[in-house]
Amino acid sequence: MSSIKEKFNQISPSEFFYSNRDLAGFSNPTRSLYTAVREFVENALDACDQKGILPDVHLTIKAVDPEKSDPKPYILTVKDNGPGIDAEHIPLAFGTVLYGSKFGLKQARGMFGLGATMAILYGQITTNKPVTVKSSSDAKIQNQFEILLDIQKNKPVIVKHTTKEITKTGLSVSICLEGDYSKAGTKIRDYVYETSLITPYASITFDDPKGQKFSHPRFVKEIPSPPTIIRPHPHGIDVERIRRMIVESQFEIPTIDDAMIEKVRKDLGLSVKKLSFTSIMEKAKKKWKTLPRQVRVVIALMSFLKMDFEKLNKIRIEDIDMPNKKLFYWDFGDSQSKSIDMDPESQYYKQLTNTVQGEPLTTFLTKRFQRVGPTTALKFAAFAKLKPEKRMGTLTNQELVNLSDALQKFDDFMAPDSSCLAPLGAEPLEKGIKKFFNPDFVAVVQRPASAYSGFPFIIEMGIAYGGDIKSGGPHVYRYANRIPLLYDEGSDVVIKVVNDTDWGRYKVKGEPPFIIVSHICSTRIPYKTAGKENVADRQEIERELRLALQYLSRKLSSFMSKRGQAEMAKKRANLYAKYIPMIAEFCTELSGKKKEPNYKKMLETEIAFETKKAVKEENEIGNK
Amino acid sequence: MKLAISKKQKDSKIKARSKKADDKQKTILEMLKSHGAKIYDDLDNGQFPKFSIPSRSVSNIVYDKKLRQYILGNNAALRSSRNSAQLRSFTQLMWLAFFANRLTNERKSSTLRDVYYSSQAFAVEFEDQSESDNIIVDLEAVTSRAREDFHIFPEERSSIFGDLNIEYTIPGYEGKTMNLANHPDGYSIGPSLTTAELVDTSAEIVIAIEKGGLFTRFVEEQVDKKFKSIIINTGGQAPRSTRTLLKRLHDEMKLPVICLTDGDVYGEHIAMVIKSGSANAAHLRELTVPDAKWVGVWATDIEKYKLPTIPMTESDIKRCYDLQKDPRYQDGIWKKELDVFLRLKRKAELEAFSKYGLTNITDKYLPQKLELAKSL
Repeated sequence: MSSIKEKFNQISPSEFFYSNRDLAGFSNPTRSLYTAVREFVENALDACDQKGILPDVHLTIKAVDPEKSDPKPYILTVKDNGPGIDAEHIPLAFGTVLYGSKFGLKQARGMFGLGATMAILYGQITTNKPVTVKSSSDAKIQNQFEILLDIQKNKPVIVKHTTKEITKTGLSVSICLEGDYSKAGTKIRDYVYETSLITPYASITFDDPKGQKFSHPRFVKEIPSPPTIIRPHPHGIDVERIRRMIVESQFEIPTIDDAMIEKVRKDLGLSVKKLSFTSIMEKAKKKWKTLPRQVRVVIALMSFLKMDFEKLNKIRIEDIDMPNKKLFYWDFGDSQSKSIDMDPESQYYKQLTNTVQGEPLTTFLTKRFQRVGPTTALKFAAFAKLKPEKRMGTLTNQELVNLSDALQKFDDFMAPDSSCLAPLGAEPLEKGIKKFFNPDFVAVVQRPASAYSGFPFIIEMGIAYGGDIKSGGPHVYRYANRIPLLYDEGSDVVIKVVNDTDWGRYKVKGEPPFIIVSHICSTRIPYKTAGKENVADRQEIERELRLALQYLSRKLSSFMSKRGQAEMAKKRANLYAKYIPMIAEFCTELSGKKKEPNYKKMLETEIAFETKKAVKEENEIGNK
Repeated sequence: MKLAISKKQKDSKIKARSKKADDKQKTILEMLKSHGAKIYDDLDNGQFPKFSIPSRSVSNIVYDKKLRQYILGNNAALRSSRNSAQLRSFTQLMWLAFFANRLTNERKSSTLRDVYYSSQAFAVEFEDQSESDNIIVDLEAVTSRAREDFHIFPEERSSIFGDLNIEYTIPGYEGKTMNLANHPDGYSIGPSLTTAELVDTSAEIVIAIEKGGLFTRFVEEQVDKKFKSIIINTGGQAPRSTRTLLKRLHDEMKLPVICLTDGDVYGEHIAMVIKSGSANAAHLRELTVPDAKWVGVWATDIEKYKLPTIPMTESDIKRCYDLQKDPRYQDGIWKKELDVFLRLKRKAELEAFSKYGLTNITDKYLPQKLELAKSL
């Protein structure tokens, strides 16, 4: 009999994603090819956006063996003119999972660069080929790497590294992966097409495996202002996040060694080695405002110990007992533990308290969150039944949970700051729609910023009618953070809002040729699934979508009625010309008259009047 | 000598009658002409012609207790040729008036279907016959005249049999007389019969019967002689021309009218329409016989005579509930029998009496009902 011994191993992030690749959109060759395209194109656009560079993105998909039937290996290359990545970061950025630059709270297409690494991982496991990365961040030297990923260790393996001279910055990533272009082709072409509509400042080209070239040149020269990184909003936060913020805000008691003493001396600008305790304190008082935190803590400790540098070298701080106002230390000279009392009135006492117990609640709120002032912080403390001066480091687990709940429930926080959002803007959106659809009518709207659960969002929407648009509308183009959403349309909140609309009310009937472009910008899009294809129906978002659509529908309605009026005027003129003479004929015989009534002049005047009206209405539409 | 006098008398009578018909024709023509003249003048003055028409919407159909029929209320709609949505139907109505004018003038008759096809000769479009039928009702509403007055007749025909002398007024038959007991299959009630003069009769009652089969039986069993009656087969719901004839028999010949229908809710309503008209014809007044009596087959007869029955269908029952809301079914025999139908949820046809022998209905049931009718 052998006993089975269970083994508990820590698995690396690479291994985790390897076994859960379905979650990230790599479930089959069709979907995987599409997702890989998306991830690399979005990374390229994000990189350019961040540096304010007008993006030139070149996408190429080539079959390794064109004769083979799908699914088969393809080489996918995405090249951009972005800032590039420093050579030292490249192996880690492309050869490890969960390594990225996109941390922080602001709107971006993707988070953490996770998707790109997933695509590389997927390519490696299906074709066993390394990823090729060419990058230049200084416009002088281009570094070229071939990298494999060690899945178990989550570490890059550099297969090859060469350099060459170059004159432009930019990044080019090329992977070999198993894909099915015959099935994914339509979606990929749609993706590129729709991306260029929402990124009118980008120039995107696509060379497909069948030798077709799709080119979408930029038609807007201004890049929308990039978003700023901001602190979180109290509504958008949970217990774990608070815990991490408290840890960040606390500061460990620095180890006082030679290096630390040297740093303090330097920061205080003391050149003389031997200096009395009092003169150190005086110097510190003068320079206090410019001193870094570590130095301040050391000074505070010295103030209670009443020691100069020399003495300080011979002790080790053991504990700082704030409640009992006692400072314990080990004296190497006497080889025993000693304690001294601290004076709570001393200005240094506060410095130590901050360090050991964290900031008071009100400071924590005003310093760590966006748009919370002292008044609101006090109000909130009362609401949460916590003392305003309560130190964050002393909160118990239960108190933390209560605090987190209270942060969610307190209604008097200001609405989230939307400066972290980067909507496209009404004007470029309208330009894009006009260029793509050449419509008879177009209207766009950008709603003011709103928020759900502490995450700010902005809805941009456009509506267009007639022109090159095919009938059977409304056709809905959905975007979230400048990403086109192509799959799982049925359960999306935008579709829901569109379907709820009674178009007859807006004089849109039959199989109308019209489109709706909807763009949701947020620091966090509430996707329903990890595949990031459909947006959940959050009440606040639904409301904003509805308001945007209603506004545009009213504009469309007035266009339709103008157009209808023009058509009606034409129709009336025709009807009069057809029927009035008949009436005249019949009533002549009926009334026993010989001659027809004298109606011709009246009819001519009326027809001329209606025709003029039709022309006028049409001109008005045309001018818009 | 006597003969000569009587011939002379007859001649003058004919003249008088034909003058009456001429007068009626004249009135109609005058009326049409005045409508036409109004339109003509509007156009001649450089204006879009318009006229007003009583509204035939459900909300404007009210029951008149005095007249004992449905009539149109006071709501009227303006039809203007300036309104492009009405222009087409305006023209259609204009054409119809023009066409009715020709028909009346030339004393020619046509059917509803004829009208639909005739329109095409004048480039007047009708989507289908129901559209042209609808315009005909418009003309009736505007002029308060039945379409038959304009020589437009429906296709369905019912028939009549009994000792009644008539004299034709239609072109080619003026002065010709006919006794309606001469042909055992009965005479079909068409334009010539409806417009004929009713000369004289020996009958003392009119029996309107719902079904052709029973009509033949009644003729065979000489119900006309045995009960001094004129028998009319309504062929289900009585057509307008038949209702007009029933009214004339009642008003001009002073004959009481009784109705004999199947023992179900539809039969009861056939009798009611003869008595007080239908909501569909609320714009017309000359189609009802308010004194007409429904003598059977009643719901109570089903139990009394132990008639073979069939169960009511869902739609039969629904019809009962609908009629319960009708103001004409709020009292008397109408309400009582309707309630019994609903209780029984069964119905019986006139033929059910054959259970007791083919002549049972004429030998037993009819005499009892005629006797009863006197007390109704």
